[in-house]
Amino acid sequence: MVRIVFRDVAGNAQEINAEPGVSLMVSAKAHGIAGIEAECGGSMVCATCHIYVDEPWFSAIGAAGPIEAEMVEYTRHPRLTSRLSCQILVTEAMDGMEVGVPLSQR
Amino acid sequence: MASLAHTIPPHVKPEQVFEFDIYADPRISDDVQGSYAEALRHAPDIFWSPLNGGHWLVQRHDLIAEVVKNPAVFSAREMQIPRVKNPPLFIPLNLDPPGNVPYRHVLMPKFSPRAVAEMEGKMRAMAAEIVADVADAGTCDFVHDVAARFPVSVFMEVMGLPLEKLHEFRAIADGFFKAHTNEEYQAASQQIAAIFHELIDFRRKAPGEDLISHFITVDFEGRKLSLEEIMAMCTVLFLGGMDTVTNVTAFTFQQLADDPALQSRLAADPALLPQFAEEGLRMFGVIGTPRLVVQDFDAHGIAFRKGDMVLNALWQSGRDPTRIANPDRFDIDRKDMAHLNFSTGPHLCLGHALARAEMRILAEEWLKRVPSFRAIPGAHHGFRMGTVIALKSLPLQWDIA
Ligand code: HEM
Ligand code: FES
Repeated sequence: MVRIVFRDVAGNAQEINAEPGVSLMVSAKAHGIAGIEAECGGSMVCATCHIYVDEPWFSAIGAAGPIEAEMVEYTRHPRLTSRLSCQILVTEAMDGMEVGVPLSQR
Repeated sequence: MASLAHTIPPHVKPEQVFEFDIYADPRISDDVQGSYAEALRHAPDIFWSPLNGGHWLVQRHDLIAEVVKNPAVFSAREMQIPRVKNPPLFIPLNLDPPGNVPYRHVLMPKFSPRAVAEMEGKMRAMAAEIVADVADAGTCDFVHDVAARFPVSVFMEVMGLPLEKLHEFRAIADGFFKAHTNEEYQAASQQIAAIFHELIDFRRKAPGEDLISHFITVDFEGRKLSLEEIMAMCTVLFLGGMDTVTNVTAFTFQQLADDPALQSRLAADPALLPQFAEEGLRMFGVIGTPRLVVQDFDAHGIAFRKGDMVLNALWQSGRDPTRIANPDRFDIDRKDMAHLNFSTGPHLCLGHALARAEMRILAEEWLKRVPSFRAIPGAHHGFRMGTVIALKSLPLQWDIA
């Protein structure tokens, strides 16, 4: 299992055991992380699965590709470390990763 | 339209057949979504209705999600039940991935949560004006006078239709959504096409910040969009962007009119309005989205065969008892308001953020002026059903100070 910590804007943290080989969004939804809406179910058309990836993890997993980056631009609260969680495939190497959930997805 | 012949192909098992007329089933009443859920209570999760040319109907939340997320089997390219000879091609609605993706990206900047937030002030002013037109009368037909008017104003703003066209455009939209006969429908369609053509010409000369100007100037994979592409997008925006908001709002207010306690709670605490709008969206889905089976596929004991039509009854997703506790109770405090009334997957409604904002803002401006109201007793509201569900009227009354 891969431990991932989700933090809301107030700093409340929730750790989940994410499943390797599927997207981080799928595990976040399965664990009911508040603020991850994921309305399109991973089709990269809604950007309501937006998260911020803390360093050093952001650099390790890399920035968004061009289409994802464009989707991120349309969110309410984009940052330099923004990613769409449906586009992050969980691997064992992500064990211990911390991510932030934005103030709102829409 | 309804066809009374029964069609049951050999790949459909007898226990999978459930007779239901999506255009005129006698079990449906003014509480359309509630009576729908009741009528299908004992029908299989996926069933074959032999009416209207014969088609599958999917009525469970998770199964609907499976279908709309599998475009290789369930294509969006045809959406008519029964099938027609020359189906129209709306963009991006009838394009399966990856063909739809570049168009979604052309549209996204104007419909993103951020773009919607920027329009909030303008939308609020429009809503306030529409409510002000009826507030002192003490009575109105909420559908005609309020719920149908507001989305038209918002739509014109998004598209960049000059305000002096408001009355003309409102009349055309009204005529279109009320069209009964093929002639009325054709005439209204032509008027709409003419308006968009005129608008495109106008914006070529006088570009602004609006969507049409964006369509004209945007770089689309190294070229400009053709007139046909622009028209195909305008049409889907017209069809999907106004009547839908009107209908969900109308059903939600039909519910609210019977609940004075909720009215006063919402009037006192507008911070509850996003939850109120979402609960309305969950309970009162108005779109069913058809898919065409393009490849034989066996799942959940069903043999889907090439050429079969499948109706995803999205309004059933929010009423799914296997997913939601007491699904037929309107409860703005519930934690889980899961529904697929904006669909999901590659065709997730482009306007979902805009629609939610419209519902919330209109309710807020309404309650500011009319904090307490009721349905006129005994009035028959009337409805339309099919792949779109609509409430025809909602006569309300309230005390004026
Ligand atoms: C409460 C109101 C609304 C509801 C219930 C609704 C529902 C839907 C549904 C169910 C779909 C997907 C159909 C499918 O999967 O085949 C859809 C698509 C779409 N909607 Fe909405 N809609 C609403 C409001 C709006 C608004 C306000 C706009 C824009 C002005 C809009 C624009 C679109 C567009 C362009 C598509 C096509 C997206 C695509 O194919 O990629 N909708 N809508
Ligand atoms: S779930 Fe829709 S973009 Fe990630």
